[in-house]
Amino acid sequence: MVNTYEETEVAVEKRFVPKPLDINADIAWAKINKDILRSLERPRPIFWVIFIASFALFLVGVSCEVYQYQTGMGVANLNNPQVWGLYIATFIWWIGMGHSGTLLSALLHIMHADWRKPIYRYSEAMTTFTLLTAALFVMVHLGRIWQFYYVVAYPNERWTWPNFQSPLVWDATAIGTYLTSSLLFLYIGMIPDLAICRDNAIGIRKKLYTFMSLGWMGTDRQWANFRVTYLTLACFLMPLAVSVHSIVSTDFAASQQPGYHITSFPPYFVAGAIYSGLAVIITLFIVLRYTFRFEEYMTMPILEKLAKLTFAAGMVWTYLNLIEYATTWYGNDMYAKQALIYRATGPFAPEWWMMNFLGSVLPFALTFKRVRASIPVMLFMSIFINFGMWLERWMIISPTLAHGIYPWTWDDDQWPSFVQWGIVAGSFGWFNMLFMLYCKIFPSVSMYEVKEMLHERRFFKSTNVATARDSAINPDLAVEGGLAS
Amino acid sequence: MSITNLLNNWSFYRKKRPYQGQYDLNRQYSEYKWAMALDLDICTGCNACTTACYAENNLPVVGKERFKHGHVMHWIRIERYWDEKMGEFPEQGASFLPMMCQQCEEAPCETVCPVGATSHTNDGLNSQNYHRCVGSRYCSVNCPYKVRYFNFWNYPSTAWPAPLPDQLNPDVTVRTKGIMEKCTFCVQRLNEAKSRARTEYRLVRDGEVVPACVQACPTSAITFGNIVDPKSKVAMMWKNQQVDLYKDMQEKDNSVRGYRILEDLRPFPSVMYLERVRDMEA
Amino acid sequence: MPNVHPEDFVVPGLSVFYASTCTQCGSACGVMGRVREGRVLKMEGNPESKISGGKICGLGQAAVQVQYNPDRLTQPMMKVGSSLQPVSWDKAMAMLEEKTGPKSGINGDEFAFVTGAMSGHLKVLAQNYLDSLGSKNHFVYEALSPAVGFAANKQVYGVDMPRLRFDKAKLVVSFGSDFLGTGASPVHFAAEYAKFRKAPRGTLIQIEPKMTMTGANADRWIPIIPGTEGVFALGVANQLLKHGDFSKTVSVDIVNLVGKYDPDTVSGITGVSSDLIGHLAGLLWEKSPSLVISGASVEGHVHGVQNASAIQILNRILGNVGKTVDGQAQSPFPQLAPATGSFASLKAMNDGMGAGTYKAVFIYGANPVFTTPSFMGFRDNLRKVPFKVAFVNAIDETAEECDLVLPIYTAVEDFGSHIAWYQPEGVEITMQQPLMEKLYSDTRSMGDIMLDLVKQRRADEYKNWPDFRSYLKTAVVNIKPAVKYTDTDEHFWYDTLSRGVIHVDAPQQQIAESFSTEMLDLPTTINSPDPKFPFYLIPSERHYFRDGRHANCGWLQESPDPLTTVVWDSWAEIHPKTAESMGIKEGDYLEISSQNGTLKVKAYLFPGIHPDAISIPLGQGHESLGRFAKGVGVNPFRILNPVFEKDTGELAMYGTRVSVKKTAESEIVVKDEGPVSTQMGRKLVVTLPADVAQLSKEI
Repeated sequence: MVNTYEETEVAVEKRFVPKPLDINADIAWAKINKDILRSLERPRPIFWVIFIASFALFLVGVSCEVYQYQTGMGVANLNNPQVWGLYIATFIWWIGMGHSGTLLSALLHIMHADWRKPIYRYSEAMTTFTLLTAALFVMVHLGRIWQFYYVVAYPNERWTWPNFQSPLVWDATAIGTYLTSSLLFLYIGMIPDLAICRDNAIGIRKKLYTFMSLGWMGTDRQWANFRVTYLTLACFLMPLAVSVHSIVSTDFAASQQPGYHITSFPPYFVAGAIYSGLAVIITLFIVLRYTFRFEEYMTMPILEKLAKLTFAAGMVWTYLNLIEYATTWYGNDMYAKQALIYRATGPFAPEWWMMNFLGSVLPFALTFKRVRASIPVMLFMSIFINFGMWLERWMIISPTLAHGIYPWTWDDDQWPSFVQWGIVAGSFGWFNMLFMLYCKIFPSVSMYEVKEMLHERRFFKSTNVATARDSAINPDLAVEGGLAS
Repeated sequence: MSITNLLNNWSFYRKKRPYQGQYDLNRQYSEYKWAMALDLDICTGCNACTTACYAENNLPVVGKERFKHGHVMHWIRIERYWDEKMGEFPEQGASFLPMMCQQCEEAPCETVCPVGATSHTNDGLNSQNYHRCVGSRYCSVNCPYKVRYFNFWNYPSTAWPAPLPDQLNPDVTVRTKGIMEKCTFCVQRLNEAKSRARTEYRLVRDGEVVPACVQACPTSAITFGNIVDPKSKVAMMWKNQQVDLYKDMQEKDNSVRGYRILEDLRPFPSVMYLERVRDMEA
Repeated sequence: MPNVHPEDFVVPGLSVFYASTCTQCGSACGVMGRVREGRVLKMEGNPESKISGGKICGLGQAAVQVQYNPDRLTQPMMKVGSSLQPVSWDKAMAMLEEKTGPKSGINGDEFAFVTGAMSGHLKVLAQNYLDSLGSKNHFVYEALSPAVGFAANKQVYGVDMPRLRFDKAKLVVSFGSDFLGTGASPVHFAAEYAKFRKAPRGTLIQIEPKMTMTGANADRWIPIIPGTEGVFALGVANQLLKHGDFSKTVSVDIVNLVGKYDPDTVSGITGVSSDLIGHLAGLLWEKSPSLVISGASVEGHVHGVQNASAIQILNRILGNVGKTVDGQAQSPFPQLAPATGSFASLKAMNDGMGAGTYKAVFIYGANPVFTTPSFMGFRDNLRKVPFKVAFVNAIDETAEECDLVLPIYTAVEDFGSHIAWYQPEGVEITMQQPLMEKLYSDTRSMGDIMLDLVKQRRADEYKNWPDFRSYLKTAVVNIKPAVKYTDTDEHFWYDTLSRGVIHVDAPQQQIAESFSTEMLDLPTTINSPDPKFPFYLIPSERHYFRDGRHANCGWLQESPDPLTTVVWDSWAEIHPKTAESMGIKEGDYLEISSQNGTLKVKAYLFPGIHPDAISIPLGQGHESLGRFAKGVGVNPFRILNPVFEKDTGELAMYGTRVSVKKTAESEIVVKDEGPVSTQMGRKLVVTLPADVAQLSKEI
């Protein structure tokens, strides 16, 4: 079993005590193990409180869905023409968040940006769980949820296939592929760490980690195979991640609905996805850093980098957003233009303006170093940016559906019912539950990669290629590693 | 559609899109292509067609509360528009527009249905397969006319208190919650007429079968028929009104009244409307 | 319902169509019932019928919803204490016998029979029953009766109802006549209207205070102050006489009469610009033959007959009589002719009840408790009658008050014969036959009951007829010589039933050569505003609701009103300009008060109404009748003032003035229309000027 909390406390106390230099490296690596495995320990009571709250929230969602299942979609206050409402909006939002995790991990892995290493694991886990959450919404929005498998291309004796022309089928396929590969990527990247867990665990956990680590011994051959596989998967995931949200955007861009029928939607969606994904990575970064005291791993320079990346993504999104408005405006298509004016002035105007503010204006605060350096402000920023991005998805769905080509069926009065809100809230409960369980079962920071990073830094340091100042990792560790001087 | 079939006939499937001059009506439809012509000048907006549709197609009466929430199921609805340049009073009356599924040749709903529940039949109808429908409502999103109606509630259990179910038309199913439905051009009547004709070794005669709305219309504002048959009234009307099924921009004289709604979106609807006429000197 | 041994003609899966007559309104359209497995599923038009021409309106289709209505009365009810309790037919008939039978000692003057409009052989039977009682008290009551129009026609043409030839007219000027929606024969007139609109396309001009469905189809719709239509017509006549020499067709009386109505005076009274009057006169001069008609909003005033007559005079001046205004066929069967009903007869009956004259009252086909204004106190007067019997399909407001409520067959279960009061060509006797077996074993045919009642006193005369069917058969077969049918009686009977109609050629009624202008002294101060009640109340007739007797049909409740598209509710139409000045928005609850009561109803901003008028549709506001009708909307009948047409004694429906007060409450108006009411720049309904269109080249 991993160390008890008290033991760890002592270890933390002793952290800054100078050690003999020769075997330092090994000691520090062992400490990495200890620090991170500590997060898998028996949780504090507050964990259970939050977990039960999340579970309760999830139950709210489940009961709403059961009610909707029994009674019909009418209880959600969906109608003709507002047929999708919050379900599809929240679906895009969740699936968008899932983008940054894997994309960040895979892209930065290929680019050898080593600051990704302490944060990629939980990001990937986040990706997986957001995808699972998003998939729920695909089901929930169906009128006949019990027949969702019709959308899947499965062989059957009647030769009935889904309609491959339909973007929804592309969607289902893309999400399925992305979910599978993300899960695989997460799992494969975790194997060496699972082996560490295995070596430190007892009881049922030992069995679990033994099974999951697939007999990892850390031999050269295993490492070589592992590296090739991991890199291959990273290369595979890169375009996939871009494609998923592009395909999600074709649900809209390929339709005739004014306000959806926009060529720039794929990059716009991808930008929005990365933007909100980065924001949620920041949120989780802060939460994990605080909860598990990962200050030495999730350092301020990493947060700084994330903040800059978020700002960049935010600006790309803003640009594409403005492009959308501008092309609609000078495209002078009557339907699209009216829909745009309606969004800015109709019953959804407050939400629309708030979305533009949160998405495009608020991130400018990130240009200030003091903002980037302040953890509470960053938490606030990340949550509000994400809220803005959720509003963006809602503003794509509802006002547009309410104000289509056909004026007779315009609809100003429909507001989501408690069933929709309940299911949206339930999705947060579901995500929280999954993520909390994950954090207590699997290491949320990659141990072997942090070690790798440390090793490389030491190497580069000794050859004066990089300086300690540039290091994203806590210089304390480097000092402890004995290479600071 | 097996994959072998798809591969063997790739060039056919690839070319199937009806772009201008690409193919003609008679090559696409050898026997039937149902179409309509609707004269807005003599439509009085009386709603007899709507009620006929309720009676024929087992449309549920949803009630006030559900109507308020936009859950009404009228497959054909009468829209009433005031003139945009209206002054204090609507001096030229109102514009009534009966709007039902336009049975588009290039139906936007068909391409987006994930399960292929809505597809084209070989007599040119845009069919809706209730059994296959999973209720994604994508077709409704993509329908420019918004004439697809979703079963937001389980109407069979609420809309027909006994003994009202005795009135239900046994030729038409009663739709459960969670599926999309729409005007079918009364396909149950068409199929009956077709099979009757087939047993008599002939094609369906013009006027032999009409949808319920056409049958009820007190002013006979709607004409229905098989547009493949050049002698049918509807085919002659389309020709006379210079409306071509496969054109998105009709080249017609100013005095000719035929037009199709939202033609510029290229859905190639099968319903031709005839313009409302107003005596401007009156 | 499906039988173990079905009848030979019941083939599972195959529909059989039976001809019958629609009794949903007074038009008596011939219809076909689609019957499958012994159930009637759908009503369709009977092409044999010259009235319906194979077409049908929504109201007619709802006949099946009357049949399968979940709130139908399925067994006789008797009042026990203050509530109605089920009883057996034997008990119910015994009670009838006890109270009105020969031994009851009731004399004819103590008995009253209130019915809705009636025609055909049931009317004859009812008459015979009254005769057997020695009673003359057959009160035919229709809340929306054509009596005023008949009186005006009688005055101008010498006939109750001329035949109107829309198909021949080049210009139709309609003063408040909603011939497409309500009135004499909407389905027939819709077909005529279609012919009128085909090349050479006729022009329709509608002049009325509130836009009706017909007004919505007009080429020109002219709002006018309610009650001033006659003045307007005379103003048009005034201008018309300047266009040519009318000395041969127009008497000096008329010339003198219309001389007073110069455009400026008329414009001042009617609120219509004087240019328009001249313009209309010019059009009438230009487009001949034309047709000028008047309708409910013209007739529902104190001077309703004069108002309508003044309008009909235009036809005389223009020489339309004989061209577009023709005589109807003279029915050779006066005993079968329709009794169209009037308000005046009910008023007489109500007074009688108040005075305690009647010991027994039968009510059939009318719901006076619902359709009478509150000032009449009909409900209270009815309660004074010791024995009240209602013959109904469902318990309505009137039946609630009755001592005995007898469930009768619906129209699709019963036999009958009808003659419409508007006959397009010849005389059409439309036959009604059961489209299916009775749905409830404890219901009976109205004809059978009437026959039983007659037999109470005249058993010998009627002993050959065990039921109404056999009576009807004998009676119908008697018509055989009139139609020169040569086959056997049996053939004639079945032929008639299967065709659904009997066409009888009959000579046209003669339209009087001349007419008197004595009564044409129209008041010029009708529009003087009353500061306490500044608005004209227009209790408008909805095309599928009429007086509200079929409000319990879901299809009709959910069929949007053509102009406002409101469903399942009542609403008050108010002009946007007026609404703006009063700060009223759509959905605000308004308190609309007359001297006789207040209605609280949602506002609907409607441009097609005179700014000084408020319109509330009739037919809603039921306190009974069933789940689809009860508690829906308000009943404007209740607040009508005791204003009566001075010549006929009819209730002046449009004579009530109201005040409007905005309340703080507001609710969404449930309607089909979206937030916008225009096409927003789209090419949905395109309008082509008539001079560009070449209808003659069309197919």
